[in-house]
Amino acid sequence: MNDIGEFTLMVALATALYGTVAYVMSARGNRIDLYLSADKIPLITWACVMISSIALWKALFTNDFSLQYVYAYSNIELDYFYKFSSFWGGQKGSLLFWTLLLSTYTLVVHFQNRKKSLIVVPYAMAVLLGVTVFFLFLLNFSTNPFERIPLPPADGRGLNPLLQNYWMVIHPPTLYLGYVGFTVPFAYAMAGLITKSLDDSWIRLTRKWTVVSWFFLCMGNLFGASWAYVELGWGGYWAWDPVENAAFMPLIIATAYLHSVMIQEKKDMMKVWNMSLVLLTFVMTIFGTFITRSGLIQSVHTFDEATLGYYFLGFLFFIIAVCSVMIVWRLPLLKSKNELDSFLSREASFLFNNLLLLGIGFATFWGTIFPIISEAVRGIKITVGPPFYNQVNVPIGLALLALIGIGPVIAWRRATWSNLKKNFHKPVAVALVGGAVLYPILPLSNRSEIYTFIAFILCMFVTSSILLEFFKGTMARSQSHEETTVGALGSMIWHNKRRYGGYVVHIGVVMIYAGIAASQSYGTHIEKRMKIGDTIEISDYMLRYEKIAAVQATSVKTRIIAQLAVEKDGRRIWTARPEKEFYKGQTQPVSEVDVRSTLASDLYVILADFSEDDSATIKVYYNPMVSWLWMGGWVIALGTMVCAWPDRLEQRRRLERLKRQEIVFSPAQE
Amino acid sequence: MSFIHFIELLLIAGIMVAVGIPLFGKLPKTRPFSEVDPVEEAFKHLLVRKEEVLLAIKELEADLQTDKVSNEDYESLRNKLEGEAMAILEKIDTLEKDKRKSGKSSAKNLLLA
Repeated sequence: MNDIGEFTLMVALATALYGTVAYVMSARGNRIDLYLSADKIPLITWACVMISSIALWKALFTNDFSLQYVYAYSNIELDYFYKFSSFWGGQKGSLLFWTLLLSTYTLVVHFQNRKKSLIVVPYAMAVLLGVTVFFLFLLNFSTNPFERIPLPPADGRGLNPLLQNYWMVIHPPTLYLGYVGFTVPFAYAMAGLITKSLDDSWIRLTRKWTVVSWFFLCMGNLFGASWAYVELGWGGYWAWDPVENAAFMPLIIATAYLHSVMIQEKKDMMKVWNMSLVLLTFVMTIFGTFITRSGLIQSVHTFDEATLGYYFLGFLFFIIAVCSVMIVWRLPLLKSKNELDSFLSREASFLFNNLLLLGIGFATFWGTIFPIISEAVRGIKITVGPPFYNQVNVPIGLALLALIGIGPVIAWRRATWSNLKKNFHKPVAVALVGGAVLYPILPLSNRSEIYTFIAFILCMFVTSSILLEFFKGTMARSQSHEETTVGALGSMIWHNKRRYGGYVVHIGVVMIYAGIAASQSYGTHIEKRMKIGDTIEISDYMLRYEKIAAVQATSVKTRIIAQLAVEKDGRRIWTARPEKEFYKGQTQPVSEVDVRSTLASDLYVILADFSEDDSATIKVYYNPMVSWLWMGGWVIALGTMVCAWPDRLEQRRRLERLKRQEIVFSPAQE
Repeated sequence: MSFIHFIELLLIAGIMVAVGIPLFGKLPKTRPFSEVDPVEEAFKHLLVRKEEVLLAIKELEADLQTDKVSNEDYESLRNKLEGEAMAILEKIDTLEKDKRKSGKSSAKNLLLA
């Protein structure tokens, strides 16, 4: 099966290469023979990559240590669950997984458009297959997952214990689904530039792809934060690590695009801007991959054998050059005659939102590459840590949060101060009352706490402004359509899925802001060397160290489990069991934290160290409102589902347009 | 020849046949893609713009109902949007008539004008 897997990888490269060329030639020469021939390629390439993937999975499940990859990332004792996920645990497998997703997306785009005679389709397919060629080239000639070991060992080295966590089964595929998904809007944008089809059609073709990819990237970031929180054992979930930043930057730019594209749809302007954002989002996904796989930076997220830097750097420069040339070349077609009606309008608020998002994106980019530039230019290794990002991104983030609240209550096209006052007074009143209530309760002794106080006020402002929008809309509909309140709310959302789904997403974002603000400012921690019976106090909790025990979990894993009784108001409410896990062949043990999570706070207990006399060093974090982050993620998921739900009205409009177009432009009339 | 080699050979042959048949078989001489016609593109764009302007009028009404715009702004913006809609509809009608009458060339002139 390994031979077959390696062989199909090579065949996939050949077919993808042929497909790229054949699609372009079929479009340029308008040749049916070449098009029908190329039309088979997406399915063949996908099937070949799928066979290779199955071969690698089979090798992992059957402990075939003749493969270097299986030896490096699996062993006999590894749970099947993690054998499955070790497919993307290493560089080679993760690249194969990336290629599998890309070829699957390409196949879906192919099936979506195979009956359409749009000239952009073959070019978009060529771009998708072209990107696939790059990844297949790497898999075949630089990082082959089917590389053999001449004398296969009896057992493997096993998967990095940090990756043996359920979040690592979910987090990378979700992130990759987002990363890879942005190749589709990129392909359509390039096809639009090539064919001069630069009206709204490419935006409409890619709208759902963008929303879905954005969603996966957003959830991928959140799942990654969850993994860091429960597995890395430092009490936090985000450290502005370069690889975290690499996944964050495309998300930020795609968010800017999702907002600014609405201005293009409504006002037929900002075409250059939107085109640039789509292309930049894809560039950032490749930049993220370059960061992870170049070996230039050290991170818990980078791959051990990060040697692909030059390939990705070359690819990155190639894409940037092509995109720049294409935009400059088509600039006359992308220019817009329209202008904003007023700077006091929702369009203008979207424009500011874009500037702020790009500000965050640029600050994050600069912080990420500065150590690399510093080392290359001056030979000095500098670390850019959380203080830099917090100093720059927190104020911008707060301004952005304010805009989320301003957006719903400001009119499209033009608003006036008197109407703004009328619409703002309720959300502002809610925020001020909330602020007045919080003021005596919350500490305001440093900048971070002041920012958090402002964030809470803004969260209340945004939430009330969104809820007010739902309320007003429902009431207006209820009166004009003579519907019940519940019926009016339902039909209002149903007929404006994008708008109200977007508001639900914003509620989720507000929850995330609240969670970050509270946990970053009001969290406390304590570390203590404890003997059996000792107690430790944090916030309202008292933890009593009861015992410690060693358990041989499997033949390769030993667990040292400490037990602490957690009391609140003199009543036992929970038993914390933090662990240290020792894996055979690994020098460092892994901490398995124990977390009691409630809406108000998390109690996060770590077994930092232990001795033979049963004493142990226990570290306890009290993290307020961390669960709001994860709940915010689910609310975002709900909102995205509403946004991406198939819109019959839009489909009907599209069909009517096509019908009319056909009547006017049918060949019979020529 | 081993079984694996046989399978590999079979795979290549299958792919060659699937990809090659359209290249060497008899096919009707049709053109798979309609060329990008600037007039058609403009027509398509106008249809989309028409929908967007009508949608904007609806949104403006909703903004009035929810007190986001004043009556004066509503009136002036509505007049502006209706003017835009009328201009678009006129262009669409002229383009349709012109296309039916004399084909692309004069329609192109209209667009250029």
